[in-house]
Amino acid sequence: MVHYRFPPASAYRLNRCLFALKSDDAFRSRFRTDARAAMREMELDDADAAALLRGERDALVARGAHPYLVFMADLRLRMEREAVTFEYF
Amino acid sequence: MLVGAFACAHTPQLLARPETEDRELVLRVHAAFARVKRRLEALRPDAIAMIAGDHIEAFFLSAVPALAVYVGTECAGTFGRYRYRFPIHEPLARALVEAGIERGFDLVYTQDAPLDYAFYVPLHFTMPEPSVPLVPLHVNVYLPPQPTPKRCYEWGRALGEILGSRSERVVLMASGGMSHFPGTDRYASPEFDYDRRLLDLLSAGRSRELAGVTAEELDRAGNIELRTWITLLGAVGDAKADVYCYEPSWHHGNAVVEWPLAVRTSGFRGAGAPPSEASL
Repeated sequence: MVHYRFPPASAYRLNRCLFALKSDDAFRSRFRTDARAAMREMELDDADAAALLRGERDALVARGAHPYLVFMADLRLRMEREAVTFEYF
Repeated sequence: MLVGAFACAHTPQLLARPETEDRELVLRVHAAFARVKRRLEALRPDAIAMIAGDHIEAFFLSAVPALAVYVGTECAGTFGRYRYRFPIHEPLARALVEAGIERGFDLVYTQDAPLDYAFYVPLHFTMPEPSVPLVPLHVNVYLPPQPTPKRCYEWGRALGEILGSRSERVVLMASGGMSHFPGTDRYASPEFDYDRRLLDLLSAGRSRELAGVTAEELDRAGNIELRTWITLLGAVGDAKADVYCYEPSWHHGNAVVEWPLAVRTSGFRGAGAPPSEASL
């Protein structure tokens, strides 16, 4: 597969963290307050945590993150940080 | 009995309407959704069996079902400020699980999984009032290895036969597609030509050919979600598609399609056997 590959078990914690950022409002709130503490809660290793803090999609995907989870975790964080205008028309 | 069949895009921007979108394009898709709603009102279904691919919302890596049926009393989901709750047609949902397992499909069932936006974006625009009970049917599209297109088609054939033997008036609705590549470098460059070739094929009643495409082809074309359409095609057979709209946005091929059906009440045989291999 070119775009969506099997998520390797080595990336389970990273994908679990991205899933929580996407779907768990309470976790996303903790992440926004203290990202490092939230990532420790998810037992991310230093390299995963660094890539997530930098928001580097390609680095995250290279480490086994699912592209859709990266996309949606980023979107949900931006929706809260930037107060994205919905129902613009 | 199967009384109607539709496919609808579920692009979240159609619901959220951020300023990144082309207003007129979005409103044209809304108009196509409104046609579906009017058709649903005319068809008076007892249930809508909706085939959608969960976006890693109900099913995470703790368990990844290829095919699943929601069999609770109701289903609910949220996205930002949007909140949805629909009744489930529990007797029909349970019958589909039981008859599907009897036919050799090792279905997962759930009584409490959250509803993903793949379900409620189309329903936001098309659900008649009062709500028609749903039977949400999950097909894994995002977590490889997904079920093969051929397997989806076979499950759709079984669905058509099972629904044809039931007394309830049921509409099938496939959610998803067409080409898009969320989370990748291709997000702003979908394969619109692939979509158009496919719609031509479906309009000509050559649906069966889609069952023979490979997983790799769907992935390359940004059309992994077409597994939901392929499942529906197994049920509707070679009925010709009526394309209500195809609206290519900067990130997504938005299609709304109906397959007008000649209603048969029993022994419905939706489709013949899928081909062994094909490419579009």
